[in-house]
Amino acid sequence: MNKFLVFLEQREGIVKKTSIDTWNRVQDLAALYGDSAVFGILAGPVDLQQLCASLSGKGVIYHASNEAFRLYNPGHYARLVAETLKLEACTTIFFADTVLSRDLAPKLSLHLKASLLSGCTIFDVSKEVCVRCVRPVYSGSTIASFVAERSIRIYTILSSAKLFHSISEDYPTIIPLETCRLTGIEELFPVVRRMVMYSGRQDVTEASIIVAGGRGMGGSEGFVILEQLAQLLGGAVGASRQAVDGGWRPHFEQIGQTGKTVAPALYLACGISGTPQHLAGLGSGSTVVAAINSDRYAPIFDVADYGIVGDVHLVLPKLLDALHEFLKRK
Amino acid sequence: MNIAVCVCQVPDTASVIGFVDGAIDLTRVNDVMNPYDEYALEEAVSLKERFEGSIVTVFSVAAVSAKEMLRKALAMGADRAVLVSNIVVSDSFQTAQVLCQAISAFYQQALPDLVFCGKHSTDFQNGQVPPMLAEMLGIPSVTGITAFHASFESIQVEREIEGGLEYIDINYPALLSADKGLNMPRKTSIRAVIEARKKTIDLFYATLCENASVAMISIEPLERKKICKFMHSEKELIRHLNEEYSFF
Ligand SMILES: Cc1cc2nc3c(=O)[nH]c(=O)nc-3n(C[C@H](O)[C@H](O)[C@H](O)COP(=O)(O)OP(=O)(O)OC[C@H]3O[C@@H](n4cnc5c(N)ncnc54)[C@H](O)[C@@H]3O)c2cc1C
Repeated sequence: MNKFLVFLEQREGIVKKTSIDTWNRVQDLAALYGDSAVFGILAGPVDLQQLCASLSGKGVIYHASNEAFRLYNPGHYARLVAETLKLEACTTIFFADTVLSRDLAPKLSLHLKASLLSGCTIFDVSKEVCVRCVRPVYSGSTIASFVAERSIRIYTILSSAKLFHSISEDYPTIIPLETCRLTGIEELFPVVRRMVMYSGRQDVTEASIIVAGGRGMGGSEGFVILEQLAQLLGGAVGASRQAVDGGWRPHFEQIGQTGKTVAPALYLACGISGTPQHLAGLGSGSTVVAAINSDRYAPIFDVADYGIVGDVHLVLPKLLDALHEFLKRK
Repeated sequence: MNIAVCVCQVPDTASVIGFVDGAIDLTRVNDVMNPYDEYALEEAVSLKERFEGSIVTVFSVAAVSAKEMLRKALAMGADRAVLVSNIVVSDSFQTAQVLCQAISAFYQQALPDLVFCGKHSTDFQNGQVPPMLAEMLGIPSVTGITAFHASFESIQVEREIEGGLEYIDINYPALLSADKGLNMPRKTSIRAVIEARKKTIDLFYATLCENASVAMISIEPLERKKICKFMHSEKELIRHLNEEYSFF
């Protein structure tokens, strides 16, 4: 029997969308394999109602609601995951590919003598080789697949470009872990003193729709309309490095080789030329790309599904109006 | 203060990753210092300028040709360099092990006060080496920092998380990996380049103790090319996106 453990990450009591996405994909995986069980581990106090409303599928979720888990602590978290793994004799752990899992999973892999495969975009499931992790490497110019050599495996998974997931009739059982022990050697861990979340902002790594702007937006004022578009569509604003280095946008919006890797369902690129370093940040081939650029021969059109040749300052207001119109009629 | 910086080489972004008979061909690749490692090195060197008597040593597991990159690191302000090129490592785990050996040997089983790494290498983007190395050295670590404040007693760092920011306290000795935004790496002057020629690059001979934990089983070119449908109006675009994908 395959026993999968999914780490559910919370921030400020809300379980992340990318974790829920991971849980759902592991449910699919378990269904594909047959003879599999899915377990979850959730660290920190959360809004259980929100969680129950968004999770489906069979399984058991262990919940350590202890205050000590509210903020990320690598020592406590690693211990909790390792103990849950042993408790259920799981052999595979799945994380959403986040800042937290990129910090925690490598440490955990050493404790557990596990193989670690980071940033997987697709799983290729074939019975013989177990789960293969497929992902772009070398700035997205090539695609490689990796397999684990050890019997315990850890995967971190890039959020998928899929918008919808088949909701099953089943719901997981949540079991509180009231008395979980914390590790004693505090001074060995970094301590998160404070965490500040930017309100009302969706991160590019979690958005289904990204409205991105580059140098062609002309300046920070140019991005106002992209923010309006993003808000209307429930998406996030992204930026090219030129826009970030020019001081028009914060670094956390940068997409590309020295920014974030994203896999939205729709990527709207406005005034972005489409250099390899920028495209390196588009992690999934199934993202639909629409581009607006005044240069008919801009390389972004070579990787776009749809294009509008024109000045962003003229096209975007019309697009915003047309979308308002469209959504009103809907 | 003893500061170690781990650096690696990656193909520069203009390089063409070629394929010959289905195998990857890196002969036309021009290697440069991993951009994130430049942030790590810059932070170490500026720290050295603040804490007198500090020594910055760079460590790299790479081919002998990486000496060129190490010269650049020395020109940027590192004092010494250690290169491990007697073995070929095949995953992050082995890289971390070899770095751990080299660092432990260099500091004679003591620990450096700080170890800086880049957040990840831009070629494989695993970002696994820094936390693994910290674990092997038995010191705490924080990945992907965007701000660093240190006194003799303690360190405060900031890390961007999805949609927010963490303020983190950490004690010496510690390992930190650098994200973009931490600083602006300095340009090397001609004079610094000449000075760097006088500094030493030590060779360290490592042994591999364990097998790789991950194997790459295939690599092929990623075809991103699509056939773009050009739209004549915004309305037409919305109609397509909605009819074909029901995005809105
Ligand atoms: C080591 C390294 C790492 C890098 N990492 C990244 C990264 O992570 N992310 C990233 O994005 N870049 C990265 N870059 C930079 C990258 O090479 C490009 O410089 C950058 O992506 C270009 O940004 P851009 O498309 O906004 O600007 P440009 O390339 O200048 O393109 C602007 C585009 O806007 C169009 N345009 C101009 N005016 C208008 C208008 N009024 N209406 C419509 N279109 C208009 C132009 O036709 C052009 O196509 C990196 C570079 C290096 C060397």
